[in-house]
Amino acid sequence: MQMSTDTDVNWQSERTDEAIDWRDRLHEGFVLRIYEPAIIAWSDRRTQTGLLIVLVYLSMALVDLLGLWRDASTSQAPRMLGAFQNWSYPLGTTQSGVDVLALIIDSTPFILQMVLAGGVWATGVAVIAGTISGYKGGLTDSVITAISDFFMSIPGLPLVIVLGITLEPESPLVLGVILTINYWAGLGRSIRSQVLSIRNESYVEAARAMGTSTVRIIRKDILPNLMPYVLVNFVFAARYTIFAAVALYFLGVLPYTGQNWGITLNYAYNQGALFGLEAIHWLLAPIIAIVGLACGLILLSQGMDRIFNPRVRTRLTGESESVESTPDHTTEVR
Amino acid sequence: MSSHSPGSQEHDNRQPDPILEITDTNVTYTDGESYVLEDASVSIHRDEILGIVGESGSGKSMFASAILDAVPDPGVLTGQLRYNGPDGTVDILGLSDEQLRAFRWEEIAMVFQGAMHSFNPTMKIKTHFTETLQSHDRSVSEGMSFARELLESLYLEPERVLNAYPHELSGGMQQRALIALSMVLNPEVLIMDEPTAALDLLMQRSILSLLHDLQAEYDLTIVFITHDLPLVAGIADRMAIIYAFEFVEIGPRDAIISNAAHPYTRALLQATPNINSPLEAMESIEGQGPAPANVPSGCRFHPRCPVATEECESVDPALEGAESNRHRVACHHVERAREELTVSTDEAGAFSATESTTRPSTDGEPLLELSDLEVHFESSQGLPEGLIGDPDVVRAVDGVSLSIEPQDLVCLLGESGCGKTTLGKAMIGLQEPTGGSITFRGDPLDEHDDARAALQIIHQDPSSALNPNRRIVDILSEPLLHTHPNASIAERRSRITSLLERIGMTPADAYIERYPHQLSGGEQQRVVLSRALLMDPDAVLADEAISAVDVSLRIEIMDLLLELQAEFETSYLFISHDLSNARYITEHAGGRIAVMYLGEIVEIGTAQRLLTDPRHPYTEVLRWATPALGLDTDGDDEPPVREIDVPDPINPPSGCRFHTRCPVARETCVDTSPELRDCADVDGAVACFRSDPDHQYWESEPLDGASERPE
Amino acid sequence: MNYYLRRTIRIPATILGVATLTFGLIRLLPGGPFTQLRIQLRRRGMDAQEINARIEALQNIRPDKSLPEQYIDYLIGVVQLDLGQSISLNKPVIEVIGQALPWTVFIVIVSTLLMFILGVLLGSLQAYWEGTTFDSVGSGLSILFMSIPYYIYAVAFLVVLAFSWRVFPTSAAADRSIEAGFTVAYAVSVLHHAALPIISFTIGGVGSTALSMRGNSIQVLGREFVEVARLRGLSDQRIATRYVAMNAILPMYTGLLLLIGFRLGGTVVLEEIFTYPGLGFYLIEGVNANDYPLMMGCFMVITIALVLAVYVADMTYGLIDPRISVGDADEY
Repeated sequence: MQMSTDTDVNWQSERTDEAIDWRDRLHEGFVLRIYEPAIIAWSDRRTQTGLLIVLVYLSMALVDLLGLWRDASTSQAPRMLGAFQNWSYPLGTTQSGVDVLALIIDSTPFILQMVLAGGVWATGVAVIAGTISGYKGGLTDSVITAISDFFMSIPGLPLVIVLGITLEPESPLVLGVILTINYWAGLGRSIRSQVLSIRNESYVEAARAMGTSTVRIIRKDILPNLMPYVLVNFVFAARYTIFAAVALYFLGVLPYTGQNWGITLNYAYNQGALFGLEAIHWLLAPIIAIVGLACGLILLSQGMDRIFNPRVRTRLTGESESVESTPDHTTEVR
Repeated sequence: MSSHSPGSQEHDNRQPDPILEITDTNVTYTDGESYVLEDASVSIHRDEILGIVGESGSGKSMFASAILDAVPDPGVLTGQLRYNGPDGTVDILGLSDEQLRAFRWEEIAMVFQGAMHSFNPTMKIKTHFTETLQSHDRSVSEGMSFARELLESLYLEPERVLNAYPHELSGGMQQRALIALSMVLNPEVLIMDEPTAALDLLMQRSILSLLHDLQAEYDLTIVFITHDLPLVAGIADRMAIIYAFEFVEIGPRDAIISNAAHPYTRALLQATPNINSPLEAMESIEGQGPAPANVPSGCRFHPRCPVATEECESVDPALEGAESNRHRVACHHVERAREELTVSTDEAGAFSATESTTRPSTDGEPLLELSDLEVHFESSQGLPEGLIGDPDVVRAVDGVSLSIEPQDLVCLLGESGCGKTTLGKAMIGLQEPTGGSITFRGDPLDEHDDARAALQIIHQDPSSALNPNRRIVDILSEPLLHTHPNASIAERRSRITSLLERIGMTPADAYIERYPHQLSGGEQQRVVLSRALLMDPDAVLADEAISAVDVSLRIEIMDLLLELQAEFETSYLFISHDLSNARYITEHAGGRIAVMYLGEIVEIGTAQRLLTDPRHPYTEVLRWATPALGLDTDGDDEPPVREIDVPDPINPPSGCRFHTRCPVARETCVDTSPELRDCADVDGAVACFRSDPDHQYWESEPLDGASERPE
Repeated sequence: MNYYLRRTIRIPATILGVATLTFGLIRLLPGGPFTQLRIQLRRRGMDAQEINARIEALQNIRPDKSLPEQYIDYLIGVVQLDLGQSISLNKPVIEVIGQALPWTVFIVIVSTLLMFILGVLLGSLQAYWEGTTFDSVGSGLSILFMSIPYYIYAVAFLVVLAFSWRVFPTSAAADRSIEAGFTVAYAVSVLHHAALPIISFTIGGVGSTALSMRGNSIQVLGREFVEVARLRGLSDQRIATRYVAMNAILPMYTGLLLLIGFRLGGTVVLEEIFTYPGLGFYLIEGVNANDYPLMMGCFMVITIALVLAVYVADMTYGLIDPRISVGDADEY
C-alpha cells in the first residue's frame, strides 16, 4: 500500500488536481476495514472459535434454504429414536416421528433473522439515541433521556408478553424488534455518557475548531471509539433476543406457526417428560442449539475489541512501533 | 551566597556519612536480557537532599522502587542495598516479607508523582493516616496529632483536609497531604518521585521550599527524583544525572551546575529554558533516550553526543572521580566536553540579543480584539436548582480587554484555575462568552465567515489531541479537506509528506501510515502542530503546548513554533504557567506576556520588562517561582505569598483579587479593585495601586502578615 | 436535596406513564378487552346491561363511557389500588397480587444477592491469580454460564432433582400442610420450595458478574494507590477488601440497576416453570386464561416494583461512591 509520492506538490503549493482516485481509495478501504480486521480477529483463539461456531449456524441456515435436508413433518420416521442410533436421523426422532435434526435445521433461518433483528434494533436505536443525546445536549438530551428512563423502568419480558399477545407478531424480524423493544434504553444511557466524555476529548475540540461538520465528527471521531463497546453489546442484545424468544415460545405465550427451538423445547419438556431419559435427546437438541449459538456469539465478542484497538492492530499486522510506544517495557510505567 | 546555601564547601569537607549505600544494583526484565537500571552505585548521605535528574524513560523511577525493594513484576532486582539506620545496618534485600513491610514507611517512605492516584478514591484522607499508623502499631492519637502538625506546617487546614475525600482537594493540596502521609511515621529517608511535576510552577516552588523547611526540622534525608534540572538545583545538596538506565554523573550541586563534566549534563543545562541564560544559548538535545531493549553499545550517550569518538562507540566509560571522589562522571572525554560544550548559567548574558526581534506592525486593524470579555460558568445544572437559590457562578474570565495584531504573539501566564485556557478558547471561538465582545478583523467573531477556519488550537496533551483510531495521514488529511477540498488522495499525501519532512519527521512515508500511539510525545505534538497549521490559520491557540513534552524537547518545539509562525504568517496565543518558557517564546517573537489572576489580567508587557521591572506583586511572585540556574539561588526562602492555595473562583476575594495572598496588600486592597492602567514610564499595563504613587493605598494599613515594604 | 426531590417526582410520573401504557394496551387487544368474556357471558344468556355491569365489576372500567372518562376512572382505580377483578380466579386482582408479590421479591432479592456475592468472589480470585489455570478455567466457565439461559438450569433441576429424584418439590411456595407463620418448620418449607428457583436464577447471572469483577479488579490492582498502600505496610487483607474489591465493585453498581429490571422480568419464566405463585406466575395465568385484569395488574405491579428498586439504587449510589455527587447516578 505504498503510494508514489508526487514531489512536485508540497505542503505550500497552491495546485490542486481534481482527479479523485477511486481505485486507491477502494483498495485502502479494503485493507483497513476488511483485511486487517480479519487477520486480527483470526489471531484470537476465542474469536476464532466463536467465528467457527457462528459459521456452523450459518451453514445450517443455508442447508435449510437450499433444501439439502428433509423438512420436518410428523411420521416421517420411526418414533422416539435415540440420538446417533440411526444415521438417517442422527439426532433421533420425536414421539410423533419427526426428525429432530430437521426440526433444528428448519428453524435456524428464523432464529438467525430474529437474533439479527433484535441485535440491530437494540444497538442501532441505542447508538442513535445515545449519540444524539450525548453530543447535542440541551433540550434534545433531556427529552431523549426522559424517554429512555421511562423505557428502562419497564421490565422487558412482561412487556414483551403483553405486546406479543396484543400484536401477535409472526415475522421473525418484527419479533426480534418486539423482544428488544426496550433493551436499547439502558445501553443508550451508557453510550450517552461515553459520548459525553469523548466529546470533551481534545481531538474532538480540534475537529470543531477546523469547522468539521457534526455528522463527520460523530462518524470519524466518536463512533469508532464506541465500536468495541457497541459490538460487545450487540452480542449481548442478540443473546438476550434468543433467550427471551425461546423462553416465551417455551411458555407458549407467543403465537407460532411451524416449529422452532423454543417450541421443540416445549414439546420435549411437556410430552417427552413422560418418557424420562429415553426422550433426553429430544430435550437436549434444542438446548444445545441455543447454548451453542449464544456461546459462539459471546466468544466472538470477547476478541472483538481488539479489532478496534489500534495498538493491537499495529502489533499484529507487523508494522513497526516506535521506540517509546511500548509502555510495557519502559521503566516509567505506573 | 547566603548562609544557608546548600552544597557549600562544608559539606565537601565533612566525612560523608551514608545512610543508604547502593552498590552494583541492577533491575532486569525478560530474564535478564534488558536492563532498566544498570550498575547503580550511589551513596546517599545522612540529612542531605540528593537530586536525581533524568528524562522520562531513563530508569529514574526504577531506582526509586529499587531502594524500597518494590520493583514491579516481572522485574528482577539484584545487587546490594545497605541502610544505616538508627538501629544499625540493614541489608534491604535480605529482609523477610514481614520485616520489609515494617521497614518501608517507618525508615524509608516514598512520595509519588500523581497524588490523586496515590490515595484510595473511596476513602477519606484521615483513614489513610489512621490505617498507616495502625498497620505499624503506632498510637493513633499521637500519630494523628503529629499528622495535624505536619499538615499545618504544609500550609493546610488539618481538619478540613483530613475529613475530605481525595477528589475534593486541589492537586497542590493532595500533593502536600501525601507528603504529610509519607512523613507520618517519622521516617529517616523520603524518596520523592517527581512529586511536583503535575503542578503549577508556583505550587512546585512553594512545596519545594516547604520541603526544605521540613527536612531541616525533622532531620530527613530526601532523594528527589525529577526531569526538571533547574527545579531540583534550587534545593539539592548533591545531584546525580541518570541517562539510559545508568548514572552518568554524580556530584555536589555547585560542581554540577558550574562545572558539569558529562556532555549530557552540559546539554541538559543548556537545553532548559530558564530566565537567567541568554536566549541564543539555549538549545535542545537532538534525538531521544533509548528503550531498554536497544541500548547503544559503548557509552550510551554516544549517538547524541557531540564529542563522541570511536572509543565511545565501543568502550562503556566507568563512573569515576573527575576531580575528587565526590564528583564522579562516566565519560571518556571530560576535558573536551568542558572545553567544547559551553554552559552559560551566568546572568550577565541575559537580555542581550533580544532587541533585534521585531514587533509586528501595529498599524491597521487588529486581528482579534476583546473588550470587557466575560465567561461565567454556572456550576450546577438543571431547573430545580435554578429555582431554589442562586446557582454558584465560576467567573472564569471576568472583564478582559486585549487586542492581538496579525502575526502577533501573546502569552497568557498564570496558575491553573486562573482562567487562561477559558480566555484562550473564547478568543478562538471555542467557548461562548457570557459578556463583552470579541471582534475578528473588525467583525463580531461569531458573524465572521472565515473566523472558524482561521482560528486553530494546539492542545496541551498531544496524546489526547489525536484520535487514537486514525492514522497520521487521516488526521492530517482533515485540514486539507477544508483548505483543498478538491485534492486527490495522492496530492494530499504528498502535501502531508512534504510537511512532515519539513518538521523533521523523516522518513515521512514511514510516519504517515502510523497510528498516534506509535509516535513519541514530541512527534505527536509536531503532528498536532501540523494539523493546526495546515488550516492556514490567522491565529493559533497553543494551550500549554509544551508542558507535556520532555524538558529536553521544549526548546525544540518552541523553535519549531517560531519558525512556522514566519512561514504560515500566523499569530500565536501561547498559554503557559512557566515564566521561563513564556519568556523564551515571547522574546523570540517580540510578543507580550499577559499575567492572569482569577479571571483578570493583572499585568501585561514584554518579557524583558516583566522580568527586570515587574510592577504587580503577583508577577514578582511568579518570577520567584521560576527556578533560576545560578549558584546563589536558594530553596530555603519562604514563598512570598501569604497563602499558598489559589482562592475558590466561585467566591473570588473582594477588591483586588490578589489581596488574600499578596505580600504587600493593605486595607485599601480589600474593598477597592484596581484597574488595568498603562504604565507611565515603561511598556505594558498593570492593575495595582502601587503603580500610582499618589494612591490612598500608601496611607492605609498593611494587612495581617503583609510586609510594609515601601516603594 | 434538589436532586432527591426531582428524582422522587419522577416516580409517580413513571407510574402514570406505565398506567397509561397499560390502559392503552388493553384497548389495543384483539377485538377489545372483553370481547371474549362478552361472548361467554352472552352464551350463558345474560342480557347486555347485565354483562356491562359484570364487566364494570371485573375491571374498574365502564364500557359505555367515553375513552377519556374510562381513562380517568382507570387512573382513579389504580390510585385506590383497585386493579379490577380477576376473571379466572374470581378474586380482586389486588388480593392475588398481595399474596404473590412477596414471593417474587424474595426470589429476586435472594438470588441477586447470591449471584453478586459468588460472582464477586470468583472474579476477585481470578484477578488475583491472573493467568493461572484457575483463571482460565474460571473464565471459560463464566462464558459457558453466560451462554446458558437460567430457565435451562431450571428445567434441568426440575427434571432431575424434582421429578426424577424427588429431592425438591415441583410446585408451590411452601407446603400447604404447614401453617404460615414465623415457625422453623414453615421457614424450612419456604426455603425448600424456593431453593431450585433461587439456585437456577443465581447460576444464570454468576458468569457475567464474575467476568466484569475480574476485569475491574485487574485494572484496580494495577493502580498506583494499591502500590502505595502496599508500601505503607497495610495488610494484604485490608488491601484486598478496602482497596481492590471496593474500587472494583463500585463501577458495577450502575449495571446492577439494569440487572434488576432483567431479573424482575425473568421471574415470569422462572415462576411458571416451578409453578411458584409469584407475580410472574399469575401474569402467565392471566395470559393463558384470557384474564386481562389479572395480567395487566401483574404487569403494572412488576413495573412499579422495578421503578422503586431503581429509585432506591439511584438514591444510594451517592452514599456508596463518594466521588459521585448525587445526581451523577444519572450518568451511567
